[in-house]
Amino acid sequence: MKKMTKTLLALSMASAMLGTSGLALAESFAITNATVHTATEQGVLENAVVVVKDGIITAVNTANSLAAYEVDKVIDAKGGVVTPGFIGSMNILGLVEISAVTESGDAQDKKADITFDPSYAYNPKASSIAFTRKGGITRNVVTSGGGEDIFAGQTFVIDLTGGWDSVKQTNTAVFVELGANHEGSRATYLQQLVTQLEKAQKSLEKAAKGKKSKDNEDAEPEAADEIINQLLAGEKPLIVAADRASDMLAVLKIKQRFKLNVIFVGAADAVLIADEIAKANVPVIIDAMRNLPESFDSLHNDLSNAGKLNAAGVKVILSNIGDSHNVYSLRYSAGNAVANGMDYNAALASMTANVADVFNIDSGRIAEGKVADIVIWNGDPFEYSSHVVKMYIDGKEQSTQSRQDKLRERYTTPSDLPRAYTK
Amino acid sequence: MTKMMPSLVMIAVTAALMGCNQSEAQDPKVTINKNPYPSTYQALPGKKTIIKNATVLTGTGEKIENADLIIIDGKISAVGQNLVADDATVVDAKGKWVTPGIIDVHSHLGVYPSPNAESHNDGNEMTNPVTAEVWAEHSVWPQDPGFNRAREGGVTTMQILPGSANLIGGRGVTLKNVPSESMQGMKFPDAPYGLKMACGENPKSLYGSRNEPPMTRMGNMAGYRQAFIEATEYKRAWDKYEADYAAGKNAVAPKRDLTLDTLQGVLEGEILIHNHCYKAEEMVMMIDLGKEFNYHSGTFHHAIEAYKIADTLAENGNCAAMWPDWWGFKLEAYDMVLENVAIVDAVKNSCAVVHSDSPVTIQRLNQESAKIMHNANANGFNYTEEQVISWITTNAAKSLGIADKTGSLEVGKNADVVIWNVNPFSVYAKAEQVFIDGAKVFDDKDARYQAQSDFLLGQE
Repeated sequence: MKKMTKTLLALSMASAMLGTSGLALAESFAITNATVHTATEQGVLENAVVVVKDGIITAVNTANSLAAYEVDKVIDAKGGVVTPGFIGSMNILGLVEISAVTESGDAQDKKADITFDPSYAYNPKASSIAFTRKGGITRNVVTSGGGEDIFAGQTFVIDLTGGWDSVKQTNTAVFVELGANHEGSRATYLQQLVTQLEKAQKSLEKAAKGKKSKDNEDAEPEAADEIINQLLAGEKPLIVAADRASDMLAVLKIKQRFKLNVIFVGAADAVLIADEIAKANVPVIIDAMRNLPESFDSLHNDLSNAGKLNAAGVKVILSNIGDSHNVYSLRYSAGNAVANGMDYNAALASMTANVADVFNIDSGRIAEGKVADIVIWNGDPFEYSSHVVKMYIDGKEQSTQSRQDKLRERYTTPSDLPRAYTK
Repeated sequence: MTKMMPSLVMIAVTAALMGCNQSEAQDPKVTINKNPYPSTYQALPGKKTIIKNATVLTGTGEKIENADLIIIDGKISAVGQNLVADDATVVDAKGKWVTPGIIDVHSHLGVYPSPNAESHNDGNEMTNPVTAEVWAEHSVWPQDPGFNRAREGGVTTMQILPGSANLIGGRGVTLKNVPSESMQGMKFPDAPYGLKMACGENPKSLYGSRNEPPMTRMGNMAGYRQAFIEATEYKRAWDKYEADYAAGKNAVAPKRDLTLDTLQGVLEGEILIHNHCYKAEEMVMMIDLGKEFNYHSGTFHHAIEAYKIADTLAENGNCAAMWPDWWGFKLEAYDMVLENVAIVDAVKNSCAVVHSDSPVTIQRLNQESAKIMHNANANGFNYTEEQVISWITTNAAKSLGIADKTGSLEVGKNADVVIWNVNPFSVYAKAEQVFIDGAKVFDDKDARYQAQSDFLLGQE
């Protein structure tokens, strides 16, 4: 019996360590001969060594002696660049196969509200996942596409392994969409938000005084109340989609009044109130490529905004907001942000450390103790001429081959037979 | 009754005489004005200019290091090393790169302008599957701020097309990217008109959802064929009128039809086809459709599956205008490969073009091309900058029928030129100076050459 248990335990341990990436065990390894962009205060380390054991980074050094590390494998980066794996955010990756084939899309629902958790619909086998790995993306914050309610639902965090256990954290933040309203007034949105927060606060105060609110007084389902309470406790961030500066200022007031943990997304005209946002310590998730006055809410879109916000002390996250299929191209946004004035290391942090901090993800830095989400590049990771040489998630190597490569191979391989025989 | 008879007879006799009386006076000849909204474009004031010491990509497959380029009277007058130009304005471009002005064959600037608003949605006349009678130029809002953003990305020429809701959506117009109060002030002189057609999902789903034809892909094909049958008859009637009139007969001109005027222009080779078409089998059918009605099937836009039929496209002289990486938004856009453009280009006599269809990526067609070049080169191809630039210059000009005027830095061509701070296929590349017909229209260091739309003026 005891023996059995041991064996079973060993077996289950082994299977727990079996990744879905094709590599059996997470080997220990050291990456040598690399320029390491740590995304920490260490900055960029030339000719550095990164050591990984059991999926965790155990050492980052500009060391000469490998002997001390006792690793299974040494990987020579050949002077290439090492970065933390990039972290996408506020997209609908894995929730849609084909946008126009509505039955293949699960990001949106008319009835979606504050309780909507789209992680139930996440498909790790969506063809966009492998394609996204090409861009050095190792983790991602997926959001709901929302419905008729101002509350679109909640976010969740995935890794990009494509494994059945890709969903790592659920219900990580609440997403509310404010701003321009096709019919009616944006004021009602802000009022609705305030009203719900007030109501929840009053209930909490009553409860604190030992008074119970009558059930019939309260038509809201319990789950929603609980989520609002988590917002009020500052346990859960409230991600606010808004573009116009006046809307963001209104939200900053609400944040102050209810002591909320707020994150802005969209934030086209944030540059007008950069100092206020920085003072309020509110991170901003923006698409660095926006530079058209798409609406009257976003007359100040500009390619220089990412750099300006960062310079003003705002914690910036770069994102392909709302994207489903081309999240891979995030790194090019960073390059464009740098070309338009953003500090290089800040641009790197905006896809790694900043996202990890804001969404409480244990990767995003090349630092001791961090989860080993690592990408080796053959050059500047923001540049078109560079590509992923190797990629690790939780210390396990991942492939960057996708269906797109299969199609290219099929149609560029000479064959006497019809293409369909080339597999 | 009896009284009536003689007069009826008289009429019949007169009519019979009219038909064969060669000497009867002809009514004035009926002719159709094919250019009723003519270009009023005039080049901005330019100077004799020499751009010195640059890395020049000519657009014709050449890369010249430490090269100079001379602009006189709005034209390229010389390209090469160690050139001399007396009394010319000197632009030192040491360390910089020079290319032809960028051309986008697929833009909706001005017809779907910024800001997005219902009152600005002027690109799709979604009232009938065949609307060859509408002309995109009549929807263009020249104050679209997107024109200025595109110019800052080096775009000097673009074709503005109607949208893809219809089988035949209407005429496109080629514009020079200069600020103007009128569409005519931007209109590229003597550029041929384009005709927007669309395969696949858009027309059949839009009209199918209204329970109108087309509802299927076979319905799409039937729709094009019906339209060209009518156009063929219309053309025949006009040809007959012309011939009869030339023979001295007092022929009656056919009743004019705005829709068929455009389709007749296609049959006469005056109007070029620009066909939104994603899938391999559909493009091959559209090539045959052209052969059925004796017109050329032109350029396939989007063409996500062009790589599957690269040989067929080259054999039939079709350009394909493509994106580097858009996919997944529709089933017909599922089979994207990042090397599509490279695979199409690799075939002899091909015409690969990179297009935007977007007010965002039109600003970075150089970067869009860089994506393709480097993905291809990482997968067995060996493309160089001097080859790749043709995707957004020479080949684009060919697709639009303006290759004799612009698209390359050859002597005698319009001096549409971009000076880039670094290699234009870098993510850090920025257009520093842009010239159209030898006149500076953008300078990233000189506010005098940074145009701003009326719409953004005074917005705080």
